[in-house]
Amino acid sequence: MNMDFILQQILNGVSLGGVYALEAVGFGIIFNILKFSNFSHGAVLTICAYIGFFISTHIVSQMIPALVITAVLGGFIAVLLEKLVFRPIRIKKRPLTYFFVTSITVMMIVQKTFSALWGRYYFPYPEMMKSAVTSFGELVVSKIYLMMLAITAIVLLGLTIFLKKTKMGIAIRAASSDSWAPALMGVDTDFIISLTFFIAGILAGITGFFLGMTYTVTPFIGELMLKGIIAAIIGGMGSLGGGVIAGILLGITESIIVAKVGASVTPILIYLSIFVLLLVRPQGISGKLYAVKA
Amino acid sequence: MLEVKDLVVTYGGITALHGISLKLQKGQIVSIVGANGAGKSTTINSISGMVSPKSGKILLDNESLITKPRKIVNRGVVQVPEGRRIFPSISVYENLILGAYRIKSKKQTEKSLEKVYSWFPILKERGNQGGGTLSGGEQQMLAIGRALMSEPKILLLDEPSLGLAPLIVLEIFELLQKLNNEGLTILLVEQNARKALSISDYAYVMETGRIVAEGEGRLIMDDPVVKRAYLGGTE
Ligand SMILES: Nc1ncnc2c1ncn2[C@@H]1O[C@H](COP(=O)(O)OP(=O)(O)OP(=O)(O)O)[C@@H](O)[C@H]1O
Ligand SMILES: [Mg+2]
Repeated sequence: MNMDFILQQILNGVSLGGVYALEAVGFGIIFNILKFSNFSHGAVLTICAYIGFFISTHIVSQMIPALVITAVLGGFIAVLLEKLVFRPIRIKKRPLTYFFVTSITVMMIVQKTFSALWGRYYFPYPEMMKSAVTSFGELVVSKIYLMMLAITAIVLLGLTIFLKKTKMGIAIRAASSDSWAPALMGVDTDFIISLTFFIAGILAGITGFFLGMTYTVTPFIGELMLKGIIAAIIGGMGSLGGGVIAGILLGITESIIVAKVGASVTPILIYLSIFVLLLVRPQGISGKLYAVKA
Repeated sequence: MLEVKDLVVTYGGITALHGISLKLQKGQIVSIVGANGAGKSTTINSISGMVSPKSGKILLDNESLITKPRKIVNRGVVQVPEGRRIFPSISVYENLILGAYRIKSKKQTEKSLEKVYSWFPILKERGNQGGGTLSGGEQQMLAIGRALMSEPKILLLDEPSLGLAPLIVLEIFELLQKLNNEGLTILLVEQNARKALSISDYAYVMETGRIVAEGEGRLIMDDPVVKRAYLGGTE
């Protein structure tokens, strides 16, 4: 392996990994506060991949405004889901499996509906900067990947600042260890939960847009969220930072293996290594082991 | 100032409070004592809006206080919950900041923080530590400090002495008296009846969802029935 090859794959891998990182955080932030694996995140992601297509072909063709609109809509879709589907379960104090099963159901409904309605069509995003490349010496990088990487970094940084420096952000983090007590401090817990879904929805919107733009939009695009879930698990459930690191490592590993042994074997190798990793270190990278899961 | 009238609370089919009434005057320390399951936490949680009563009234300055928890905090009634409920996932400093959630002005938050630090210097020292790393006594101080961050008029405390060493309990109770001297009105729920009664202006004794005795703190301590049941015999 020469140096350039490795650098090239790391660069590709980091942009790909950034997308996994966004997924891991969107998935993890809901897990932290409500303690269930939210597969409906994939549903929001799927819907947003289509919305992103619609907006960038019919409304604005520049990437940034189209992305922002898609992301905000993603946020609202997630809030709507929370209010319509998850809040009733929460109010009735149902066991965690209800949330889990419901979130899978939402994912399936979205997938099947989109398959039935639009499964036969192609939805190519406009070219935008798809073909543009920049080169650093021997390295060739597509501008779109650099752009994605920059946006991912900005979004994650912004989210970190929000969670650390604002009262609402602190309330979200507090509620992830105790959802009863924040109300005693005057926190509107229902609002905080909606806000968390809004954030997750924004992340799903961005990922849906990125995936739609770089792959093909299909009803099954939400399944790519699985990589994000894996990143969240490897990162250590409950640790958003761990999820980000794991997402990026996963992206790099994947890029290198794909380039070396081909795309068909890669998933098998990846899943096998995750299997082994979790046997060796069940607490993930961050080292927090969470008992309550669904 | 605060008045509870004929409060009935049920959990599913079980009645936890069978119509209790109590009063809290401005500047007083009033305590509720009673054994496990008497309904003390239920009472305090009803006042905080965490439990919805089936019937009865809760009045603050003659206006109904039966509303959402955050509106109750806004009206200056704040609870220090049983078991302290420190958030382990955020730092000591952030726990305090969360206590000032309803305060919008940064300057006022700073002022509250300075005040709380002056009561509990240890919290300033421990500021960056995770809330879960504190000792029991420090956690109780943090829980009280966190509640004081929003500058309440009435502080509700649910068993602040729970699980603490006698010396720490003494410290906490002295502190409550100091806060009271500075004008804070206090409703104190305790199983540690003797301690609570000794600092109270007035006290209620609860038993299975009913108030079975009430009176001035020191007087009720001498009540033979109360003595036998709650103070572990004679002293
Ligand atoms: N969330 C709940 N669901 C059902 N029953 C409850 C609930 N909370 C309390 N109870 C019941 O209501 C009664 C009063 O409980 P409460 O917690 O108010 O008592 P307490 O005086 O605070 O007791 P302790 O000293 O143990 O804290 C008990 O019988 C209890 O089992
Ligand atoms: Mg209690």
